[in-house]
Amino acid sequence: MKLFWFETFKTFSRWRTYISFTVIALIVIITEVVMKLSAGEIIYRMLRPFQKDFLISGNILNAWFVTAFIMNSLHIHIPFLITLVAGDIVSSEATSGTIRFLLIRPPSRSRIITAKYLTALFYTAGLVTFFALVCVSLGLPLFGSGDLITHHYGKFDISFIPESEIPLRILLAFIAAIWSMTVVTSIAFLFSTIAENSIGPIIGTMAVVIVFLVLGNLPLDFFRSLKPYLFTTHMMNLWQQFLNLPIPWEEIVRSAIILGLHNACLFLIAFLIFRRKDIKS
Amino acid sequence: MKKIGLLFLLLILLPPRIQAQEDAFHYLDAIEKKYTGLKDYTAEVRVHFDIETFKAPDMQARLFYKAPDKLKVESKRVFFFPKEGGYFNPSLFKKEDFEIKFMEHSIESSRKVVKLKLTPKKAKRNIQEFVLAIDPELNLIREMDVTQLDGREIKAVIDYGKFDGFELPTHIQLRIDIPSFETEGVREFDQLIQKPKRVTGTIEMTYSNYKVNSGLSDEFFKETGSSPGKERR
Repeated sequence: MKLFWFETFKTFSRWRTYISFTVIALIVIITEVVMKLSAGEIIYRMLRPFQKDFLISGNILNAWFVTAFIMNSLHIHIPFLITLVAGDIVSSEATSGTIRFLLIRPPSRSRIITAKYLTALFYTAGLVTFFALVCVSLGLPLFGSGDLITHHYGKFDISFIPESEIPLRILLAFIAAIWSMTVVTSIAFLFSTIAENSIGPIIGTMAVVIVFLVLGNLPLDFFRSLKPYLFTTHMMNLWQQFLNLPIPWEEIVRSAIILGLHNACLFLIAFLIFRRKDIKS
Repeated sequence: MKKIGLLFLLLILLPPRIQAQEDAFHYLDAIEKKYTGLKDYTAEVRVHFDIETFKAPDMQARLFYKAPDKLKVESKRVFFFPKEGGYFNPSLFKKEDFEIKFMEHSIESSRKVVKLKLTPKKAKRNIQEFVLAIDPELNLIREMDVTQLDGREIKAVIDYGKFDGFELPTHIQLRIDIPSFETEGVREFDQLIQKPKRVTGTIEMTYSNYKVNSGLSDEFFKETGSSPGKERR
């Protein structure tokens, strides 16, 4: 535990750790301000399939909608920001030459790698929580509250979630988002254990995420059959399921288990590599 | 001789058709006259959706109508209200606006029913045609089929109650059958040659607490204010 707090202190005392938080705050602020200014266009685009058939009133563009909208970009910018720290957490010791000092001290390699992994997970949870807080705390005064409408763009397909249910669902969605993002953390952490510099793990992790996302979205039967086995599918689905009517608990549990297994396997590999790491040469 | 025969045939066939056309006008006239005194009304409306791809709880709103075509909906929450057939507008079917064809007399649920086909003379709101089932004894529109130019089909079945001397809807059931065109998102390779999927389902609207001729002003329908819970038409 002491090691974990030591690693956490070390991570959060680096200025680069706060790049992610600053970027998140900027993205959310810019997105919400632009959404506020172009509310009419957003509502028109969003409700185009329904406007021929319905008169629509009420606060549709509310804080919950905006939060869900921004959360949809999780799969691109949050993984990148996670890799900045998770991809650096072990490899930076090699880069700065401190790995030998670290490994000749009394704590075992197992405890060190576990503490570093827990720190990377803590950072991930902190980043997503910060993201949630900025989205909601800025969104509520800017857009107000209301029922959440989720829909598929361009399709006659819509779900209404009553305002009273939303805070709990959003909370669960963010917890699920943290769980999803831990897989990105685990990939970056594994690469960080292998690499001797920080750039490799960051680029490598992003390459994996992008390749899997692309494969999962190609409209061909082969890739479609592959989709359920890609971690990116579960990574995106997990949190979105909390905004479905009704909540598909079975799918959520399945996705959570699959992502958990990914984490366990990736950490195990990182753990074994780190234990056998040669620091003499 | 042939010409005389043809003329004779025309003379035999023409009068009943003219007669039928006059009858068709008569039914719409009777409805228009029945509601001449209806200047405005306000009602609570509860909407229930039963459409597979439209997962929504029941919605409630207050609806304001002023003749001939002003409509305003107020709701504290998000509210979707069907544009075609969702509310009662006695001024909708002015005989001068339509080509009217008499279709048939029939008995439905032990009531006499007259069916008329109305085709707008000027293109208006994407409407291709209306088919009205009119109760000729009570001068009420019992059913309304709306066919739109883009393939949308809507059928309204209307039940009435009496409020301040006017028969106004207490319940409207809309059966919708609309093409679902996917306008955005990732397209499948074969999507362009596929026919659009159709969305079908019913929307039930229950009206209550009518207030008739309370003197709603035109300005009231112009007010949009800052409240996002208001929608005008």
